[in-house]
Parts: sequence; C-alpha cells; structure tokens
Amino acid sequence: MAAFAAILRKDLRLELRSGESTVALLAISLLILVVMVFALDASRARGAESAAGALWVALVFSGMLGATRALLAERDNNCIRGLLLSPIEPSTLYAAKLAAAFIFMAIAEIGSVILMVLFFNLNFDITLIRLAPILALGTLGFAALATLLAAISNRTRMGDLLLPILAVPIFVPALIAGVKASASALGGTPESAIAEWLKILIAFDVLFVTAGYLLFEYVVRED
Amino acid sequence: MSSMVRKGLGYLSLALMFVAIFMVFDWVPTEAEQGIAQRIFYFHVPCAWVAFAAFGIVALAGILYLWLGERMWDDLGYAAAEIGMVFCTLVLLTGSLWAKPIWGVWWTWDSRLTTTFILWLMYGGYLLLRSSADDSPQVARFAAVVGIVAALDVPVVIVSVRLWRTIHPAVLITKTGEHGLEDPRMVVALLVSLAAFTIFFVWLLTLRFAQLRARTRLHRMGQEIALAEMRAGDR
Repeated sequence: MAAFAAILRKDLRLELRSGESTVALLAISLLILVVMVFALDASRARGAESAAGALWVALVFSGMLGATRALLAERDNNCIRGLLLSPIEPSTLYAAKLAAAFIFMAIAEIGSVILMVLFFNLNFDITLIRLAPILALGTLGFAALATLLAAISNRTRMGDLLLPILAVPIFVPALIAGVKASASALGGTPESAIAEWLKILIAFDVLFVTAGYLLFEYVVRED
Repeated sequence: MSSMVRKGLGYLSLALMFVAIFMVFDWVPTEAEQGIAQRIFYFHVPCAWVAFAAFGIVALAGILYLWLGERMWDDLGYAAAEIGMVFCTLVLLTGSLWAKPIWGVWWTWDSRLTTTFILWLMYGGYLLLRSSADDSPQVARFAAVVGIVAALDVPVVIVSVRLWRTIHPAVLITKTGEHGLEDPRMVVALLVSLAAFTIFFVWLLTLRFAQLRARTRLHRMGQEIALAEMRAGDR
C-alpha cells in the first residue's frame, strides 16, 4: 500500500507541476466535441442521445492518449526498469498507474461534461449527477484496459498506433452500456432503465481490473 | 502428430467435404420459406463453429503458455488464431450473402452479427500485434495476454449486444424458421458438414502448428550456431 501511494503521489506531483496530461486531454476532448457538433449537424441533432454519443467518443479517444500518459512517462530514461528492479510487485505498479490514469481522465471528463452541456444546449441540473456513476465506471474500465494494453503496444514496432486497434474492440461492451446509460440519464428516464447497463459496466470493470492486475506482470517483465 | 496421421486427416476431410457438398446441393430438400438461399446455412454454421472453437484454443493456449512457459503453446495459439481469423471472415461473408436475399440487406446490426464482427476485430488486433513485433518470448507473452483478455470479453460482448438490440429492434424481416430444420435430412446434412469442417480445421491446425514448431526449432538452432561461432572467434 505504501508503494502504491508513493508511485501515485509521484505521478500526481509530476502532473501538478507540468499539467501536461490533463491540459492535453482537455484540449483533445474539446476538439472532439467540436468535431461531433459539426458531424452531427448542430441545428438538428441536439438533445440527450447525440450529446451522450459525443461525450463517449471524447472519452474513448482522449482516454486513449491520456490513460497511457502515466505509463509512458516511465519509458523516458528507462525509469520503468528502475521501478521493476525495486521491491515492488508489478501488480502494485499496475494499480498505481491505473489510479493515475483514472484521475487524469476524470478531470478531463468534468471539463467534457461542462462543454457538452454548453454545446448541445442541455441544462445544468440534477441529471448531470446521474451521469457521474456511469462515467466513473466507464473510465475505470477504460483505464484498466488501456493501462494493460499500452504496456504492450509501446514495446512493439507499431507503437501507439496499435493501442486503439487492440483496445477499442475490447471496450465495445462498456461503450454500448455507457452510451445507452448516459443517454437515458440525460433524457430523464427512471433509474431502473439504467440499472441493466450499470450491471454490464460493473461486470466489465471487475473483469478487466482483475485481469490487468494479474496479467500486468507478464507484460512488463523483461528477459 | 506423425505425418501419416496428418495425411489421413487431410484425405478424410477432403472426402467428407465432397459428401457434404453433394448433400447440400443435391440431397437435402429445399427449405420452404427461404428457398434455395437457406442452403448456405450448411456452410455458414460449421464456419462459425470452427471460428469460435479456434478462438477458444487461442485463449486456452495463452493461459497454458503463461502458466507453463513452453513455446509449444504459443505456437498452438498463433496457428489457431490465424485459422480462426480465416473462418471468422468466412462466417461474415457467407452471412452477408445469406442476409441479402432473406433480410434484404448485406449487413444489419443484429446481435449475433455484431458479436461475430467484434470478435473478428479483436482477433484482427491480435494478429496485427503478432506481426508488428519480432518473434520473441516477449511477443509470445503479449499475444497470450491479449488472447486471454479478448476471450474474457466475449461473454460481456454477447450480453451487452443482446441488450442493445432488444431495446432497438431491427426493422427488418426477422429470422423466422432459421432453426426449424423440419426435415431429418437437413439435420444429417448439417452434422456431416460440421464433421467435415471440424476435421478440415484440425488438419489445418496440425499442419500450421508443425510448421511453426519447425520454425521455432530452426530459430533456436540458428541462435546456437551463432553463439558457437562467437565462442570460436573468441578463442
């Protein structure tokens, strides 16, 4: 636990001093939302469903870059080797990197939600609170998947190009559940309609956090 | 597996394939509702079965590789993934050909189609990963991890896609009578096709597996020779 806290604290301090990841993430989210407004024909396609769709496109593609920042930072100066040589379990390292990625993504998403409300003419009201658990679960699942797969992709020839190719298809069930649940939450449908989708998100999170925790060791090991 | 057995498997699958083709085109009665188009069913279903079995083998081989660390399991996973990808493509193609006359479209986001397509994407990623990195134990571990993660995802994909489609039902002709194999001859033809495709798959798998094993051995021999030459040079 101490090791986990130490790595996470280090990553957060780095981020506080430079602000690189979160600013880049926010900028990309902003641009994706702008693109979505034009792509969905701003005069017509307003409302809950397109807003939810745009929000999740922003989450996936900004997350692709952002969730991996915490891990990629260790590649410079071969810091990852130092971490692996220290008496820290690889699974602890995974948990810390996952937590950092989750925090970066969450900050960017708060920004995205505000922009979404403005761009898609929604209201700042109680429905946004209902988005919170959905986004938190989706972000956790995505960060879990991306942290594991980024450790793979950044050591292949294709590099970061490979990450979306591996991650997006696997993320599809959480994406479907997240978009549907968000649209229902924003559209004001009763809580019971969302419960089914939340269950899928929870199952996805449990599965991939566990898988990442157990499999990370095989991915970072050097030989 | 000895080459005699493998040859036998090859001939057996060839013979069974001819029997299956004869049954599908000449022997089996035409389905009442869908007409002649339904006959693609006898190839479509075995392809799907082989694709899913192959991807099951990929995941299993991945687990065994991480657990036991023997190169053999990695070769098996690679061979199964390649063949599974071919059959998964065939499922999508034959499904598309079947869908056009029956549903009126080449593609629809029906739950089973979507699941198969996502599976195809995941294993496409797996093969890209394999081709984008050099042949090393490291890549074998990466591939094993991706194979396991993809297999873990399959049940979640199935559940989520089904839920997704029941909320927004397709406005198309539904799949009525697809599984109503009213004539016993249809069942027999399907079983023969399944057997033919399964044996064909096993034959392909053993062939590719033996080839990859040979490649691994060759690679290792090359390393040993290089090492020996280096040592001789030092002396």
